[in-house]
This record gives sequence, structure tokens and C-alpha cells, in this order.
Amino acid sequence: MSEHEQFNKVEPTPGERFSKFLKRKDVSSTVAWAFFYTLVFVLVALYLYPRWMPKGLSNEMRSTTRLMVIFTIISAPVCGFVLSMATHAFLRRHKGDTPPADGPGFSTNRLGVATFSVMASILTLTAVIYGLVEMNTAAEASVREAKDAMVVKVVGNQWVWTFEYPESMGGFKSEVLNLPLNKAVVFDIVSADVNHSFWPVQLGVKVDANRLAHTTVTTKPIKLGEIDVKCAELCGLYHAYMETTGAVMTTDDFNKWVITQGGHTA
Amino acid sequence: MTTLDHHTKSARPVPNPQKSLITKLNMGTGLIVGIIFAYVTYKLVRGSNPDWEPTQDINNHNQALIASMLMWSVGFLVGIGAFIGPWRWMIGKDLTAEEQLYLAGDGQGIKRYFKYCTDHKVVGIQYLWGVIAMLAVGGTLAMMIRTNLAMPGAKLVTPSIYNSLVGLHGITMIVAMIVVATGPFGNYIMPIMIGARDMAFPRLNALSWWVLFTAIPVLCSAWFLGGIPTGWTAYAPLSVQAGPGMNAFLCTIIIFAVSTAVAGANITATVVGMRTKGMTWNRVPIFVIGATISVALAVPAFPTFMLSMIQTAMDRTFQTGFFDANAGGSGWLYAHLFWIMGHPEVYVILLPGVAALMEIVPVFVRRPLFSYTSAVVGFAGIAGLSVLVWAHHMYMSGWMPMLNGPFMVTTEMISVPTGLIFLVILGTMWNGRPWMKLPMLGVFAFLWNMLIGGITGLYLSDVPADNYLHGSMYVTAHFHYTLMGAALTGAVAGLAYWYPKMTGRMLNERAGYISFWLIQIGFNVLFLGMFIVGAEGQPRRVADYAQEYGTANMVSTIGAYSIGLGFIILLWAVVHSWRHGKIAPMNPWGAKTLEWTVPYPVPLENFDELPVITSDPYGYGKAAH
Repeated sequence: MSEHEQFNKVEPTPGERFSKFLKRKDVSSTVAWAFFYTLVFVLVALYLYPRWMPKGLSNEMRSTTRLMVIFTIISAPVCGFVLSMATHAFLRRHKGDTPPADGPGFSTNRLGVATFSVMASILTLTAVIYGLVEMNTAAEASVREAKDAMVVKVVGNQWVWTFEYPESMGGFKSEVLNLPLNKAVVFDIVSADVNHSFWPVQLGVKVDANRLAHTTVTTKPIKLGEIDVKCAELCGLYHAYMETTGAVMTTDDFNKWVITQGGHTA
Repeated sequence: MTTLDHHTKSARPVPNPQKSLITKLNMGTGLIVGIIFAYVTYKLVRGSNPDWEPTQDINNHNQALIASMLMWSVGFLVGIGAFIGPWRWMIGKDLTAEEQLYLAGDGQGIKRYFKYCTDHKVVGIQYLWGVIAMLAVGGTLAMMIRTNLAMPGAKLVTPSIYNSLVGLHGITMIVAMIVVATGPFGNYIMPIMIGARDMAFPRLNALSWWVLFTAIPVLCSAWFLGGIPTGWTAYAPLSVQAGPGMNAFLCTIIIFAVSTAVAGANITATVVGMRTKGMTWNRVPIFVIGATISVALAVPAFPTFMLSMIQTAMDRTFQTGFFDANAGGSGWLYAHLFWIMGHPEVYVILLPGVAALMEIVPVFVRRPLFSYTSAVVGFAGIAGLSVLVWAHHMYMSGWMPMLNGPFMVTTEMISVPTGLIFLVILGTMWNGRPWMKLPMLGVFAFLWNMLIGGITGLYLSDVPADNYLHGSMYVTAHFHYTLMGAALTGAVAGLAYWYPKMTGRMLNERAGYISFWLIQIGFNVLFLGMFIVGAEGQPRRVADYAQEYGTANMVSTIGAYSIGLGFIILLWAVVHSWRHGKIAPMNPWGAKTLEWTVPYPVPLENFDELPVITSDPYGYGKAAH
């Protein structure tokens, strides 16, 4: 290169450098792998989670399923990055009894570290903000719905759940959890002995039953269906069998059931 | 200390160490004295009432059991000679140079592994076999759990035995995993890595191992005392109401916490104070950084665990009511004390394994460690944040829902320093050519397992998602991905890497590869299946489950058997290669850290002359030459 050419040489812009970087064979193949893995995780999120999770009978359950899908999608680029880099390295693997030749000797890349840190922070922040918004939305809905909700007392007792319906319905007790459709319910939960955890699976809510300390959780069944009630906290010998069933019923069916239990309609 | 000061002259006549009491004491005398202490204590506490029945006076029975278990530990230490040094020092007749040399195991062959030996390399091997034994027991219990869960309605064991299997498996594995890397490698390898002649406090080093050893029979006794029905979390008030086996759990943790505190303080002091000349902080091998941050984290964390166990023991023996709501106490108090230890403990387990992998990557890719600073910041960031996240285990407890948000934020922030750990490993691998030996395979396995463990941890840290997932099999799968898939994989890779230095032999490669694939494939089959049933709604720690979860549970059990077979092969490889493996060259991997500059067997004081460090230990790569 002549002196004149050197003098006239223009430094590439950051955009040109980035474009050149992306055209490198190692980089382009890694980016391709990254897109592939990201897509796989997005598909897992969209296809598998909604099939694994139970059919939601409440907004809480539906928002949990949606949250699992969205968090997996948020995480997908991270998975794409990690797995594409690992794939790139694996494809260049060295076999044999002697070490490979030395690789590139650079020991850091400040721009790379900064970019990664910023991207990781943004993705984390996205997850945090989304989670906080969901949590706040659920809390507001609870407060709103609790105003005209039916209060069901739940007592965890080794190894039985007992549900006590409101005095306005006769205050009867049942070991089956039946609920009317589109009527908010507040579960007022306590334990008669050790810790239990009240988990009506399809309603997507859960809270511990503690001795002498009442906990509450609010939900509103919005779809007809069966409910599996389980204990999610190891509570002793027959913990595995501390479960019962129930259903979300139409108001008419619920009222009929109440009467069969010795209660009366509110 | 073990390091013999050749210039020290004793003013007194030098006793022949062969006639000293030190030479008469060993594990056998420890067992005898320990059993005598335990028996006498039990009798003394129980009293002399001939009509006494343990089932009629439960408080007194618990008092007698707890006192005798703790005194067993003290008696064993007396019997093995742990207190001879301090005793002689107190009466003004400190150990002579010859006696110190004897304590260091000089010239005693295999016998030194059964004595109170202060040589860090002996302690490292003792830890290694102790960990292997605990993993074998814990793994066998896991196989029994999975066998029982293979089909719905299986009645292989009773619910009582099942709950005990879960509790014993949990606590055995937690104890084993806490010391799985820092025990063997932190003791054997780390002092050599930093160019030290021994640990800062060699007698304390031996003490940490033998105290831990005394916890093992105590834990095993739980099985014969009715088991541990509470899982390893031992939540009150279930733990207060539990049978006498619970006393064994409490005493195990109390003893273990002493061991951990001693080991943590010793390792930290060694790294801070005994690095060789020129080994500035930015030249310290990354394994040393990770292990030190891990044990330093354990030092403040474990006392709260110990405190919660002491309070539970008091509730069980004196009805103090710390955790009994009927007496004005609170189960939430226990949960706080437990998880203030419990979540940092996850990282106490994880960091040394990850650090071992970081040590491995540059060697097998022949590249400098990428962004050493990021690695240190990542470790420090994880450790720092880990003490601020404990209550995410209590979102569903009903305690202070308004604080769920802040704990969610701190928990999710951990993914940023964790990301740096990934970046360092991936950056080191970038455009290198990984040498696909067994240690390097562990790095690839780690990347996948930790990725899954990390992402599922993100869901669980989120309050609305945890609302559904908490207490389900999903949680079990998640923490196995981090603790087993990442930390244990790192420790096994570390064993494959440092095995030549610790044994003088190469680990059987073919058996190593077979075991690796059996374990990793089995692991993913097992726990991916567990994710599915957890998402579907199967609670954890259940002896039985609904028909709908049957297929995934059967698949998980098949995966478990694959893991079991893999570990049996790995164990065979470790044992067989120890005696019959190919003789290892001094530096089979061409690594640049100090442990590879010393021959096997490593001399008593490691170095003829202490090395002087002039550069970092990762000077690989073309530009570095």
C-alpha cells in the first residue's frame, strides 16, 4: 500500500465493523445455530407448556400458564446464545491423546462482556417487570373480588382437608370442595396441627395452612370442571394421601349440592 | 502446624514419638471412646429409674439421645487424639518437632488415613472417600425412592419408610454435596495451587474432617430410631412432633455445622495468608477464588442452621416452644432461620463445582480464561445476592406477602452474575478446539444442565408462577438440575482432572466415558420427566400419586437406573484405576497451575523451594507466546 493510499484509508465505521464481524464464517454459523435453538425453545413454550399445565378454571391458573410461556420465550435467546456457542465449540472438538494447538490468545473483550451484561440485565429486568405486573394485577383482582366473595374456611388436619361453608349457607362442613361458577371465593386457611399447603390445582392458587395463623387466598372460578385438592407441604405419614376432589358447578347444581349437605342457599 | 520448622529447638529432652500417646491413637480408639462416652451419657441423662420407658417419657428420651449423640462426637475426637495438641499446649508442653512430624503422617503409609493426620493431602483423600461413601448411600436411597415411584399405587415400602427415605436421601446428599469439591480438592489440591506448604491450621484441618466423620454414624442411626419423616427441610412443628430419629437429624446438623465452620475459616485463612510470593489476587487460580468465596459464604450461613437445630432440640426436650404456635412460637421463625442458611447453601454447593470447571476449560481448550474479572465478579455477585433471597422459599407460607415483590427482584437479579459465569466459560471456548477428555465433557454437560436449572429457577423465583409450582415435582427437578446436573457434574469433572495428581494414576478413560453418558442421559430422562409431572400438578415428597402421572414417573425411574448404573461404573473406575490405572505423568494435561509442577507422591511439604509467581496461570493461546 502506497503512502497516498494509507493516507486516504478511511477507518471503518462501527456499523461496517459489525457487518464484517457478522460475515465471519464462525460468527455466521453460530448466529444461525442461535436462531435455531431460540426457535426450538419458543416452540417448546408455545406448544408444550399449555399441554402440560392443567386446564385453568380460574384467571390465576390461566395467567400462570401464560407466564410460563412468556418466561420461556424471554429465556429463549439466552438458551440460543449458550447452546450455539457450545455447539460451535463441540463441532471444533479435538480428539487424541495430545492436547490441541493453542487457540486465540485474547483473554477478554470488553465490548463483548459489556454487551452480554447489558443484554442479560435487560432480559432479567423484563422478567422482573412482567412478574411484578402480574403479581400486582392478581393482588388487585383479589382485593376487588374479595368484596362480595363467598368465604370458605379450610382446615388442614393430618391428613384430611375440611371445608366449612359460610354461615349464610348453614355453616356445614364438607371434605369435598365444590364451588359455584363465576362467584369469587376467599379461602380462609388454618392448620389444626403441622404445616400443610392448600393446593386446589386447577384454580392455580396455593397457600400454606399454619397452626393458629390464618392465611387467605382469593380466586374466582370461571369455567366448569373438576378440581383436585392436594397438600403441597410434607406433613407426615400420609402426606401423599392428603387429597380430595371437588368441582366448579353451575349455580343451580351448587345450590342443590348445598342442600344435600344440610345447608341452604344464601 | 504441620509445616515443620527445622530451626525450632526444643528446650526439653525430645521424647521418642514412637512411645508417645499420639502413636497409640487411631480411628479404632476413637470408636471405642466415642461409644463409651455415648453410653455413659445416655445412662446418666436417662437416670436410674428401673421402670423408665422411652415411650412414656419422650422428653427425657430425647434429652438422653441428643446428649449421647453429641458426646459420641466429643468422645471420638478424644479417642483419636484430636485434643492432644491443645492439651499439651495448655499445660506448657507443646508438641515436639518429631511429634508434629508424626502427626503429619510421615512414613506411616496407609495407616495415616485412619489417624488424626494433619497433612492436607491425607485430609483431602479422607474427604474424598467420605464423600464417595455418602454419595453411595444417598444414591442408593434415591434408587429406592424412584423404584417406589415407578408405578402408581406401588407399595414397595410403607409411607413411613418412604418418608424416611426422602429425609435421609435429602440430608445425606446435602451434606455430601457441600463438601464434594471443597473437601477433596480444597484440601488436597488448593494449598499446592497457591504455593503453600500446608493449610494455615493443619490441626483444625484434621479436626474438620473427623468432626464430619462423627456426624455420619449419627445420621445413619436415624434409620434405626424411626427415620426422618420431615424431609431435609425439617419444618417445625412437624420436626417437633417427629419420633426419636429426628434427634439424629438435629445432631448431624449441629456436628456438621461445627465441621463446616472450622473448614471454612481454615480455607479462607489459608488463601488469604499463605499464597506464595508473587501470587497477587489477580493471579490466583479461579478454582481457589470460587472455593474460597463458597466457604466464606458458609461461615455466616451455617450458624443459623445450627441455631435452628438447637432450638428444635430444645422444643423437643424442654418444650421451649420456639416454633410451637401453641406456646407462642412460630413455624415461620424456623423457616427463616433455615432458609437464611438454605439458599446461600445452594451456592456453597454450586460455586466450587463451577470453579473447578472454569479451571478445566482453559487447559483443555488451550486458551486463556476469558475475562477473569467477570468470573470473580460473577462469583462475588452470586454470593452477595444469595444472602438476600431466602424468603422466596416462603412466598406461599403466608408470611408477609407484601415482601414477596422485593425478594422476587433480588432472586431474579442472580441471573445476571450467573450469566457472567456462562460468559466466561463460553468465551474461553470460543474458537478454541476443546480436547474431548472426560473433564471437558463435564463442561458441556454443565452448560446444558445449568441452563435448564437456571431458567426453571427463573420461573420459581417469580411469585405468580411459584404460586402454582411451589411444592411440586417441578421444584425437585429444578434443584437437581442445579445441584446434581451442575455442581456434581463439576465435581466429577474435577475428580477426573485432578485424579492423576491425587493418585499418581490415570482414571480409566473408557469406563469414564461410559459412566458419563449413562449418567448424563439418565439424568435428563429422569428430571425432564419430573418437570412434566410437576407442571401437571404432582406434589413432591409423595409416596404415591394419581394414575395420570404414571408414564412420566416410569420414564423417570428408568432414567434413575441409568444414573445408578453410571455411578457404579464410575466407582469401579475410581477404585480400579487407583491400583491398576496407567501411571500418570507429572502433568498429563499440560496445565500451568502449580499443582502440576510437583511430583507424585507429593512431598510432605509440597515444594522443595516455594515457587515465585510472575504471571497468571492461564498463559495459553497464540498471542501469549
